[in-house]
Amino acid sequence: MGDMSDLDRQIEQLQRCEVIKESEVKALCAKAREILVEEGNVQSVDAPVTVCGDIHGQFYDLKELFKVGGKVPETNYLFMGDFVDRGFYSVETFLLLLALKVRYPDRITLIRGNHESRQITQVYGFYDECLRKYGSITVWRYCTEIFDYLSLSAIVDGKIFCVHGGLSPSITSLDQIRQIDRKQEVPHDGPMCDLLWSDPEDMQGWGVSPRGAGYLFGSDVVNSFCQENEVDLICRAHQLVMEGYKWHFGEMVLTVWSAPNYCYRCGNVAAILELDENLKRDFTIFEAAPQESRGIPSKKPQPDYFL
Amino acid sequence: MSTDDGVMGTNDDAASCKRYAVDKGYWSDPFISSMVPKSSTKKAPEISRGYYARVISTQLLVEKFLRLTQCNSQVVNLGAGFDTLFWKLHQAGLVPKSFVEIDFEQVTTRKCHFIKSKQQLLQALSGEDSDIMMNKAELHSANYHLVSANLRNIGALESKLSASGIDRALPTLFLSECVLVYIEVDTTEKLIKWIADSFPTSFFINYEQVNMTDAFGQVMIENLKARDCVLSGVSACSSLTTQMNRFLNNGWTGGDALDMSVVYRYIPQEDVHRMERLELLDERELLDQLLRHYCLVWAYKDISNIGLHTISLS
Repeated sequence: MGDMSDLDRQIEQLQRCEVIKESEVKALCAKAREILVEEGNVQSVDAPVTVCGDIHGQFYDLKELFKVGGKVPETNYLFMGDFVDRGFYSVETFLLLLALKVRYPDRITLIRGNHESRQITQVYGFYDECLRKYGSITVWRYCTEIFDYLSLSAIVDGKIFCVHGGLSPSITSLDQIRQIDRKQEVPHDGPMCDLLWSDPEDMQGWGVSPRGAGYLFGSDVVNSFCQENEVDLICRAHQLVMEGYKWHFGEMVLTVWSAPNYCYRCGNVAAILELDENLKRDFTIFEAAPQESRGIPSKKPQPDYFL
Repeated sequence: MSTDDGVMGTNDDAASCKRYAVDKGYWSDPFISSMVPKSSTKKAPEISRGYYARVISTQLLVEKFLRLTQCNSQVVNLGAGFDTLFWKLHQAGLVPKSFVEIDFEQVTTRKCHFIKSKQQLLQALSGEDSDIMMNKAELHSANYHLVSANLRNIGALESKLSASGIDRALPTLFLSECVLVYIEVDTTEKLIKWIADSFPTSFFINYEQVNMTDAFGQVMIENLKARDCVLSGVSACSSLTTQMNRFLNNGWTGGDALDMSVVYRYIPQEDVHRMERLELLDERELLDQLLRHYCLVWAYKDISNIGLHTISLS
């Protein structure tokens, strides 16, 4: 009982965009690990559920997401990765989502994005942010250890396959995903890397990804994957889309993007996909949180341009 | 004007981004460390790649101009900030008759100080039996001149160019990078027209924002305003057409305007491939979106028919 009230207090604190103590992060990660280790590489999720794309440390926009999508645990959520990096509040964002996962394990599913990686977070901000906010990299270590336990994908009611990036030429069936030993840093290549890095492209077969990791995959690849696995839809995130969501190959692949005005610069809107108990789809579009709801002015983000 | 402080701040920002990229190996600039301290913060790869495209493409055009004129010509860098182009050209053996850099006094004062205190920078200025004259904010040497002026004041600009020994009859290249956008359009039009009228054989290179009427452009206007940087001349940055017409309607004969995503494909691709391997870019669209909102515009006026129209990226 004491644990639960501690956790509730931490959630309240994080919801105010205040970090919790290093010792609390350690305990939170230990509890999260117990829960995540039990999850499959293709985690089964029941509808109704609201599916969300990249967040990237845009804490106030995540609060906006909960405002339009409903709170946990009243609404079930599936977040398709990229919780950290690029935004200014990756620490608060990831810890809030993780605390909600520990508090309501059946109400919120977190799967891994390509930014949930030791290497990537050292380039795109999360590492530096941990160092700045805690004075050491201990919290970054705790968090990146937890990244290794995050599931690689999810399947909603056996019909909607959700993954951060996309498909892999080394994977034709969900069972092959289930066989991956995921408890490791995201590799530079191979099936685990591809799931987190690939993108759909108007083409046939497989192509070289301009990202330098993963592949481009065409409509024929999607067709055979969906047939083999009796899947209706592949839902993924990973790519900025100005309108918040985008269909590919008719309605076989869907990109959902949930970071409005990405990098505080891009001018895009964000979307979440609400699936009801019959898997009926409904999109909710939302914009960046108004400036006044953000922190004190000195914390105002300064996005980069060429000046 | 208070907003000029914000504009001057953009020099520090650009200089720091360039220093960061140079330290990472994006392009070579042995001189930047003499003027700009090591960056304290990381820059995203799309920022370094965008600066790379800007530095490489502008230098490419400047070098073509100097080769065409066999350096019997002049370069005027408007709002030069802490640019190191003169020293890079000197190293490449491409020194024009006069290379004049103009900026706000607060900026030229700092640059003067760097040049005075760094042997590496000073060396390039001291030719045979030539004196270097300098005061707090200005510097004159045989080929290199650093002067302060507000570009809104054409009279002041004119007298500073004269003081630098500029010969209006010589082919002259004017360069402005993210400078005109901060100045009201009627003022930049007067400036552009004055240059065309005063320099019968001249070339202008302008790098700055374009396609600014969309959501990305609106966000940029707001974000920069929040750091006291008002894009007073943004109406000329609506499209490549508005950018080009500003020259064609003010005395220039011809030219071209390309957005930077196109420029990115025109610059030597072998080096682009080397550069892209330095750091993984997680999201290509972030770079593409930035590149689509900046452009390289060039214009020529060529009374003596020396072939300025042949200068291009290809």
